[in-house]
Amino acid sequence: MAKKKIEHLGKETDINTAYQIERFLAAEARILDEERYDDWLACLDADISYQMPIPINTYRRNRPSNTSFSQTMIYDENFEKLKQRAAREDTGMVWLNDPMTHHIRTITNIESFCTDDSSVYDVRSKFTLLRARRNRDNVSHTGSRKDTLIKTSDGFKIKSRLVHLPERVIIDKNLNMFF
Amino acid sequence: MSSFDYNALINEETAQQSRSIFWDPEIYQEELKQIFNRCWLFLGHDSQIPEAGDFLRTYMGEDDVIVVRGEDLEVRAFLNACSHRGNKLCQAEWGKTKSFTCSYHGWAYDTSGNLAAVPLEEAIYDNLDRSKLGMVPVARVQNYKGMIFGTFAQEGPDLIEYLGDAAYYLDVVLDASPEGMELMGSPYRVEIRGNWKLPVENAIGDGYHVAWAHAGAMRVVGTIGQGRSDTVLGIGKDNATFDTTGQVQVTLPPHTILSTLDGQSGYALYDNPGPCLEYVEKNRPNVVKRLGELRGTQLYGSETHMGIFPNLQIIQGLNLLRVIHPKGPGSFEVATFSMADKNTPDDVKEIITKHVGQTFGTAGILEGDDGDFTEAITHSADGYATRQMKGWLGMGEGRTIDWEGPGDASPGIVNELCQREFYQQWKRTMTANNVAEIIPVQKSTQKGDI
Repeated sequence: MAKKKIEHLGKETDINTAYQIERFLAAEARILDEERYDDWLACLDADISYQMPIPINTYRRNRPSNTSFSQTMIYDENFEKLKQRAAREDTGMVWLNDPMTHHIRTITNIESFCTDDSSVYDVRSKFTLLRARRNRDNVSHTGSRKDTLIKTSDGFKIKSRLVHLPERVIIDKNLNMFF
Repeated sequence: MSSFDYNALINEETAQQSRSIFWDPEIYQEELKQIFNRCWLFLGHDSQIPEAGDFLRTYMGEDDVIVVRGEDLEVRAFLNACSHRGNKLCQAEWGKTKSFTCSYHGWAYDTSGNLAAVPLEEAIYDNLDRSKLGMVPVARVQNYKGMIFGTFAQEGPDLIEYLGDAAYYLDVVLDASPEGMELMGSPYRVEIRGNWKLPVENAIGDGYHVAWAHAGAMRVVGTIGQGRSDTVLGIGKDNATFDTTGQVQVTLPPHTILSTLDGQSGYALYDNPGPCLEYVEKNRPNVVKRLGELRGTQLYGSETHMGIFPNLQIIQGLNLLRVIHPKGPGSFEVATFSMADKNTPDDVKEIITKHVGQTFGTAGILEGDDGDFTEAITHSADGYATRQMKGWLGMGEGRTIDWEGPGDASPGIVNELCQREFYQQWKRTMTANNVAEIIPVQKSTQKGDI
C-alpha cells in the first residue's frame, strides 16, 4: 500500500476565530433541524457551490479513473437550486414529511484553517445526521465536510461545501435533506 | 408450473392483483427462477466498458454478475463466485483489470473467464484440470445497439426477438444518430424497503401519481414551478384537469411504451430546457431522415417511458435509465443512470446530468417521494387481513385509439394500461412452461414502413 503524504491543510486560525466558526456551524445545524430554511439560505454566499459526489468503489490501482466512468454528483447545486429545494420543503405538500421528519445534526471534529485570503477559511468537519420519521423509520448518516467560509460584516457565509458521504448504496428512501 | 393459483393472483377480468404478490416469500423465490433466471436482463452499455479489460458489476436477479470486455474485445458475463469455494472474485464496482483473483486462496481467472493460475498448483494437486474450473458464464450475452443484455437461459429467443417491436421505440434513444447513446457517470444506487414490481410499474405506466405524489416538487420545478405553463404532461397544475389528446400508452408484450408525442415535453421538468430543446430541434431533421416521420416528429424529444420486461426502464426526455434489482420480497435496489446521445454538446450533457441528479438521483426531489408509498404498499401486506385485499388497475380499460406505430394503444399517459400489461406479463412469465412462452404469440403488429 502506497504511503500517503500527510496533507498540509494550512495554518490554523486563532482560537477566537476557531470558536466563532464552531458556533456558526452549530447554529447552522440547529437552524436546519428547526426547518428554518429561509434563515439557512441567509447563511449561504450567493455564489455557493454545494456538492456531494458518490463514493468511488474501484480498485486502488484504478483510481483516479481514466476510464469513461466519471464522478456522479448526488448534489451539485448553486444557490438557486438550494432555494428551490428549500421552497419544496415549505410547500406543505411533501407528504413523507408530514408528520414531520425529525432531523438531528451533530457537527464535530471541526478544524479551521487560514487561507491566502484573510477573510476566507478552510473548515473541515464530521457530521452525523439522524432522521427519524413515523414509528420506527430511523436512519443515521455519517460523513465529512469541507467548507469554505467567508467572514463578512453580516457574519460567516458558506462559499462552498463539499460533502463526503461514504455510503455507496444509500439505505434510505432518499437524501432529501441539507448536510 | 408451480402450485400457485395465478388466475386468482392476477385477474385480468377485474384488473385486480392479489396484494400477496408483494409479500409472499415463496412467490418471490419463484420469481427469481421463472423471471430473473430466464428473461433477457440489462447488464450494461458499451460506453461503460469501451476497452479490453474494462469491467463492471451488476445483478441478474439476486445473482452478483461481472460483465467484462476480454482481450479479444468480446463482452462476456460471469457469476461473481470462485469455482473453488464461492467467494466473490471481484469487490470493485467497476474498473480495468487483466484478471480476477480470489481473495481467499488466490485462484486467478483471466478476463475470458478461464482459470489461469492456482497457487502451489503442482505441489498440492495431481493433474488439476483448470479447463473445467473456469468462471461460470452467463449463458448468453447479446448486444442491441450498444445495450448489453444477458440471460441464464441456454435456449429460447435471441435478444432481438425478445425485444421485438420495442426495438422500434428503443431506436429513438439508441439510434437517433450514427454514434448512438451513452451512459454518463456511475449510477445512483438506493435500496428501498419495497417489492421490486412496484417501482417498475410506477415508472413505466403511472402517469396518475405525478401531479399528486410529487405535488411539492411540481410546485417548484419545470414548466409549472417556473411559471412557463399551467399544465405539465397534460395535467393541470391543480391536478383537476387532464388532456388525453396526443398522448398514448402502448403495449407490445412483454414490453410497454408511454409517450406524450409532442416532440418536446421530455424537457417539461427542466428549469433550463432551452439549450436541450435547441439541440433537439437542430437534430430533428436528421432523426426524421434516420427513423421516419412518426419517430422523428412525435417520439423524439417527447416524454417517453420504455418498459423492457422485467426490470429496465428507459425514460427519454428525463434522459435516465433505471434498473430495479430485487433484494428479497420486501426490498429492491434501484440503479439510475444519466444518458444522452453521444453527439449531444457538452453543455447540454451537463444540464442533463444535473437534471437527473436533481430530479431522480439519490437526492432527487421527485425520486424521494416514491420510496415512501412503495414501502407502505409492500409492508402493509405484512398484515394477513390487509394482504387479502386486491390492488386495482382498471383505469382506461376498453379505451383504444388508432396508433400508427407498433403495439396496441390507449389514449393519455394518465392510464393504467401499461401497469395492467406488466402484471399480465408477470403472470405469463411465471406460468410459461419454457422460455419461448414468455413472449406471447405476436399478433400482426407490422403496420408497414412507418
